[in-house]
Amino acid sequence: MHLSIYKTIKSERLKLKRSPVWLAFFILPIISAFFGTFNFWANQGLLKNEWYSLWSQHTLFLCYIFMPALIGTYCSYLWRLEHLRNNWNSFLTAPVSRISLYAGKLFWAIVMVVAGNMWIYLLYYLCGRLCGLPGVPPEESIGWIVCGILGGITICCIQLIISMLIRSFAIPIGIGLAGGIGGLMITNKGWGLYYPYSLYCMGMRANNPQMELDILPFIIGCIFYIILFSAISVVCLRHHSL
Amino acid sequence: MKTLQLEFYKIKRRKVWLTMFVLLSVQLLWGLWAFHDPRDWELQCGWMSLLYHLSLLDGIMIPTMMAVLASRLADIEHKGNTYKQLETLRSAGSLYHAKAACGCIIIMLIFAAQFAFFIMLGYYLGYEGHPDIKYYLLSYVLKVASNLSLFLLQLALSMLFANQMVPLTVGLGGSMAALLLMFVTTHSLLPWGGNLSASLVRSEWDEATRISTYFYRTFSAAETASVICIFVWIAVFYTLGRILFARREV
Repeated sequence: MHLSIYKTIKSERLKLKRSPVWLAFFILPIISAFFGTFNFWANQGLLKNEWYSLWSQHTLFLCYIFMPALIGTYCSYLWRLEHLRNNWNSFLTAPVSRISLYAGKLFWAIVMVVAGNMWIYLLYYLCGRLCGLPGVPPEESIGWIVCGILGGITICCIQLIISMLIRSFAIPIGIGLAGGIGGLMITNKGWGLYYPYSLYCMGMRANNPQMELDILPFIIGCIFYIILFSAISVVCLRHHSL
Repeated sequence: MKTLQLEFYKIKRRKVWLTMFVLLSVQLLWGLWAFHDPRDWELQCGWMSLLYHLSLLDGIMIPTMMAVLASRLADIEHKGNTYKQLETLRSAGSLYHAKAACGCIIIMLIFAAQFAFFIMLGYYLGYEGHPDIKYYLLSYVLKVASNLSLFLLQLALSMLFANQMVPLTVGLGGSMAALLLMFVTTHSLLPWGGNLSASLVRSEWDEATRISTYFYRTFSAAETASVICIFVWIAVFYTLGRILFARREV
């Protein structure tokens, strides 16, 4: 089992080799950071909580609207090759288990979410220094990123199912965008923990001036959805006909 | 005309309408959530505030929606590798024209549905009076134009790149650019600022009373230029897309 997972991870890496998919994760946070910093700099009279205020400006729209769609783009890309021509046949007849096939895709989706969040954090730090904020970002900001990664993995799991079932490249991205905007409404109602697309922005503390989060229910919610959507994906793969 | 008919035939059962309807439903749900339980002053200026908020919402969502729509129209050819065959039957230009016309008709219908949805929402919420037909019609025309320019940009990219990730990433970047432009300006020459430039209503927030005042916008010379720019973008994207598509090797 371990060996077959390693093999699928390697083969997925080959499929992604030289693809420009990482560029989206690189460019969109830059745009968000640029305007977030500009907004923070222009409204320093109102935004007085230094690193905390800068974080809110950097993450507000990126987390709610763009990250779910961006993760959707990446997950669509991971399944793109399978949907082309007869590639489902060779994919499903590979001498590895269905769990391993799914794990290979999930692994690279997680890698991209981790790398994307590290990039967001680096931009946050650099922009803070550029704005002349004193010291370094608060210690708890590491926790925001870790929780964000956990929420991001939850979105990966749901988007991987959608992209697996829908042959179109574009529709899952539209669903991701709609899911993210829906998350904005649902989180404001206080039901964010029950809605997978809200977990990323809740973890990142976007639009949360007090930076408060009930960690335990949040982690339980993320793990529940990750297991649920992964199990559904594997069941769908098992029942997928050639 | 036959090529156009074939385009509609191609998208049959591809759930293009369903996709657009789902995205419109998200907008309507957002409207229900954002406007429910209006206060007295909100009821008085409700019809104007609807036009104002529609522009904001469209500015964020529509670039990605247009990317999805263009991708759905173009990817059937990439998947089937049909360009060689199609171009022996008709010119590349007429194929491109048919796809653009098909998208244009879909956009006109989407926004007609959107306006109908939101007008019904306004009556449901009990806004005072009726929508100003002149402004609503003009707003509809400008909205179709500004989003047609985005669609033509996305169509050109979707037809040129077999890998649909490129146009969809541009669409997402466009959504983000549109959102961020809203914070810094009321008009823009960029194609993603079209919804902002074409907005007929402006708002002013009074911090003391915590009340927004809405009013119909009087266009300055720069703002008028940015509206004209929408039509320039339509011409540029259509012409450039058609030329590049016709010259590509199939």
